[in-house]
Amino acid sequence: MYRYDEFDAAFVRQRTEQFAHQVKRRLSGELTEEQFRPLRLMNGLYLQLHAYMLRVAVPYGTLNSTQMRKLAHIARTYDRGYGHFTTRQNIQYNWPKLKDVPAILEELASVEMHAIQTSGNCIRNVTTDQFAGAAADEIIDPRPVAEIIRQWSSLHPEFSYLPRKFKIAITGAPQDRAAVKFHDIGLMAATNDAGDVGWRVFVGGGLGRTPMVAKEISDYVPHEYLLPYLEAILRVYNMYGRRDNKYKARIKILVHETGIETIREQVEAEFAEIKEGVLKLPQGELTRITEYFAAPNFEPQTETKIDVAQFEATDSAYARFLKHNLHPHAKDGYVSVTISLKPIGGVPGDATDTQMEAVADLAEQYSFDELRVTHEQNLVLPHVAIKDVRAVYDALVANDLQEGNAGLISDIIACPGLDYCALANARSIPIAQAISEKFADREEEFGELKLKISGCINACGHHHVGHIGILGVEKKGTELYQITVGGDATENASVGTILGRGVVPEEVPNALEKLLDRYMAERTGPEESFLAAYRRLGDAPFKEALYG
Amino acid sequence: MASSNLAHAQTAKPRPSDLELVALNGMFDEKDGLSVLRHALTGDVSPAPIAMVSSFGADSSVLLHMVAQINPNQEVLFLETGKHFAETLEYIEITKKHLGLTNVRFLEPDTKDVERFDPKGNLWETDPDSCCHIRKTEPLDAALKTYGGWVTGRKRFQTNDRGVLPHFELTTDERIKVNPLAYWDNDDVAAYRKAHDLPAHPLFLKGFLSIGCEPCTSVVKEGEDPRSGRWRGKDKTECGIHFDVSGKIAHPTVEIGQKPMNLFKNGAFVADLWRDLKEDEAVTDLDHVHIPFDVYLENREEIDANPRDLGLILRPGDDVDALGEAAKQFSSIVVEFPAFTDGRGYSYARLLRERYNYEGELRARGDILTDQVAYFLRCGFDALTVQNEATKKALQNDDLGSVNLFMQPIGASQEVPVGTRPFLRRAK
Repeated sequence: MYRYDEFDAAFVRQRTEQFAHQVKRRLSGELTEEQFRPLRLMNGLYLQLHAYMLRVAVPYGTLNSTQMRKLAHIARTYDRGYGHFTTRQNIQYNWPKLKDVPAILEELASVEMHAIQTSGNCIRNVTTDQFAGAAADEIIDPRPVAEIIRQWSSLHPEFSYLPRKFKIAITGAPQDRAAVKFHDIGLMAATNDAGDVGWRVFVGGGLGRTPMVAKEISDYVPHEYLLPYLEAILRVYNMYGRRDNKYKARIKILVHETGIETIREQVEAEFAEIKEGVLKLPQGELTRITEYFAAPNFEPQTETKIDVAQFEATDSAYARFLKHNLHPHAKDGYVSVTISLKPIGGVPGDATDTQMEAVADLAEQYSFDELRVTHEQNLVLPHVAIKDVRAVYDALVANDLQEGNAGLISDIIACPGLDYCALANARSIPIAQAISEKFADREEEFGELKLKISGCINACGHHHVGHIGILGVEKKGTELYQITVGGDATENASVGTILGRGVVPEEVPNALEKLLDRYMAERTGPEESFLAAYRRLGDAPFKEALYG
Repeated sequence: MASSNLAHAQTAKPRPSDLELVALNGMFDEKDGLSVLRHALTGDVSPAPIAMVSSFGADSSVLLHMVAQINPNQEVLFLETGKHFAETLEYIEITKKHLGLTNVRFLEPDTKDVERFDPKGNLWETDPDSCCHIRKTEPLDAALKTYGGWVTGRKRFQTNDRGVLPHFELTTDERIKVNPLAYWDNDDVAAYRKAHDLPAHPLFLKGFLSIGCEPCTSVVKEGEDPRSGRWRGKDKTECGIHFDVSGKIAHPTVEIGQKPMNLFKNGAFVADLWRDLKEDEAVTDLDHVHIPFDVYLENREEIDANPRDLGLILRPGDDVDALGEAAKQFSSIVVEFPAFTDGRGYSYARLLRERYNYEGELRARGDILTDQVAYFLRCGFDALTVQNEATKKALQNDDLGSVNLFMQPIGASQEVPVGTRPFLRRAK
C-alpha cells in the first residue's frame, strides 16, 4: 500500500499544526464558533447532537495494522472505547473533546493518517472496491489511480469552496462493489479497441433528497489524461453548479438541469484546453505510484478449496461464515475475508478498541499487514491463505466478530440517525437492531439481500439503493418509516421504489416479514434473489403484501 | 405572582446558539472548574457579561476562591433574603477577607413585595415557593437583567435531578447558566478546600451540608442526599432560580462594522489608489477606476478607447470567457467573493492567468478568511482587499499558519519543484 515519504509527512504535519492553531484560537475565544465552523469542517470536525464528531479519512478504505492499532488507541484514550466505520470507508469518533482534537490529529499523523477533506464543500476521500488488488474479477487495481486522485485533490486551491461536497469513486472490476454510479464522479476500468486499459467516466450520480444514477460522460479516458479530465469536470461544476440552494447544489442537479450532452460539450471544451498541460500524467509517475501497490509475496498454496458441506452439520456458524464472508481471490489458495461489523442486535459499523486491535493482529499475521474498510461498514482481510481461514475465524469468535452474514439481511447499512445526528428525523440504529434480531434465524433462506436504513432524506444510509430500503421520516412529531424496494448500487444501478405510506417503528420488522414471506412464496427457487424476483414481478405483489 | 418566573425577564441581549453551547461543553475537562469559570467571566460566552452569584453556603468557598484568582474585583452577587443564618452573614465577611474579594453586592427583596405578600415574615411556613420567589427569584431576576447569564455552584451529584448538568446550560430566558463545578463530588470539594486552606462555613461543621435560609434548612443525616436538609418535609427540591433548563434559542446577531478598504499587496497593507465606478457615473475620462463587468460590456467601445489605467470588477456568475484576452488591456481586475463559500472566483483567476494571459494586478475582495489566502495566491491573485479584522491581523503578523506544501501543480503560480519531487508536488 501507499507509504508516505518526507513530503507527505511534512504536508500532513503542517496541516495538523495549522488546525491545532485554529483550535487554540477557538479555545482562547479569538474565533467565534461561527468563524471556526468552516475551519473545523475542512478538518472533518462536526458538531453533532451531543458533542463534537471527528471523521478520520481512510484513503480508499486501505489500512495497515499499525494504523488500525492507532485508531483503537484513539478510541480508548480520547473517546468512549469505540469508533464507527462509515459508508465512506472512513471512521468516526463520536465523543472527542475539542481540546483533544489537535492531539488526536498528531497521533494520526504519526501513522500517516489525517482528517483532511472528510467534510466541507471540497473533494472528499476517494472510495473504491474493498477487494481492490485482490479480487479475482479485477481488470486493474484501482488503488494507484485512487492515490493519484487523492494527491491531486488534497487542499486543491481552486476546488476547496465548491457549490457542495464532491465524491469520487473508482472500481477496477466489472462487478461494481464501490457504487460508482451513485457518486459525483464514478470511474470504471475500461478497455479500448487497442486493448489498453483506461477509464469510463460517469458523472452526476448521488443519493440524498434527489437520488440519481450517474450518466456516462466519456466511454474512455486514458490514464495520462485522467487528471486533466477530472479537473475539467470540476471546473465546469465550480463555475456553473447552483449555489442558490443547498439542496440543488450537487453536480447531479447541474447534469440533470443542463443535460448530459451540454455538460459533455463544456467539459470536452475545457479538457481540450488543459489536456496537454501540467496535469498530464507521465508514465513514470504512474509506474512509481503503482509500485507502492505491488502484490504481496504470495506463497504457493496446497490447500485451494474449503469443503463447506463438511461443517454444515457440526459447526453451522462456521459454515455460514465460509459461505458468506469469503470472496474469491485472484491468487489460487487465497481468499478475501469479510469481517462483519453487524453482530445480530448490534450497532452497524461500530468496533471497540479491543476489536480493532484484534483485527490489526489478524492483518499482521494472516493478511500481509493489509486491511480494508468497506462502504457497507465492514472490514476486510484482503489476502488470507485458505489454510489460515479457520485460525482467522477462531480469533474472530474470540472477539465477537464472527458473524457469517455478509450480504445477508442483517448485514445492514444504517446511518447514525437520531441517536447521534443533528440532521436526523428518526432513529436508524434501533430499527436495524430490531430487524437483525427478528430475522436472525431466517436470513440464510432469504439469500442475498441488501437492507439499508437512513434516518432522514439525506440518505446517509443509502436506502435508495437497498434491495429493501428504509427511510425514517417525522410526521407530526412521530417517527414513521417508508419502505422502498428494488434499489441496487452495482453496475446495474437502480433507485428503489417507495411502496406506500410509512409504518410506525414497532411495525417495521413485521412489515419486512410480510415482504419477505411474499418473496419466498413467489421466487422461482433459491437462486432467484429478492432483487431478481422484484425485477421480474414488479412492485404490485409487494404492495399487496404490505398493505393488503 | 406565584406563576411568574425568570422567563418574564426582559433580556435584549442575544446569546450563543444551542450548538455553540454544546461546543463549549466539549472544551474543558470535566473537573477543570477554574477554566470554565475563567471562560465564563472573561471569555465571549455571551455578548453581555456573566454574573457571579454566590450563596456563601457550605461549599461556596471553592468557586469564590477561583473567582479571586481570576479577578478579586469581580462583582459577586449575594441574595440577602433577610432570612439567612447569622453564621452565613458572618461567613461572608470571613470569606471576603480571606480571599481578598472586594466587590460583594447584596440583593435584597423589594420591600413592597415583602409588605404585601409576607407582612408577618412567615410566608415560608405556608407557601415556601412564593417566599423563595419574592426573596430570591425576583431580586435576582431584576439584578440579572443586564447580564447574559450567571454562574452557579450546582453539582451533578447533589441530587438526582441534576444528574445531567453540563458546564454551560441553556435556559428558557435567553441566558446561560454556567456550572463550573458540575462534575465535582464531595471529595473534590473537600480536597480543594484542604489544598487551599479555605475557611468552612460555621454551620457546615455542625452537619449542614447545603445551607439556605434559616427557616428552611435543617441538618442532613449521614447517607441522606446532601440537599435533603432543604425544605425538609415539603415537596420542594429547588428554589426556582435554577429551574428552567431548555427552551427556544435566540441566535446571536453579529454586528460587523463597515471598515475602510484595505489593500494587501507584496506582503504589506498599502494605500489603495483605485476606486469603484459609482452608480450611474459616466464612463468617460475615467482613471484608476474599477468598472463592473456588465457596465464594461455595455460601454465597451468607449472604455476600450480610454488610454488611462482602468480596472474591472468580476462578480460570481460573470462570464470570464466572454472577456477573454480583452482582460489584458486592464491594469487591475477585482474578483469579488461576496461569501467565502462561493469559490467561483478561484476558477476565474486561474482562467485569467493561465488561459487569457492576464498579467496585471488581480485582486480578491470580500469575505476573506485567513485560511483562504494561500489558495488565492496559488490561483494567481497578487492583491487582497481585506475587511475581516482577524485576517488583517494575521496578514500583518505574517501568521496565516498556511500549508505551503502543495500536492498538485497549478499552471500560473511560480512554484518551484523541489529536488526530485514527482510532478504532482511543489513547495513554496
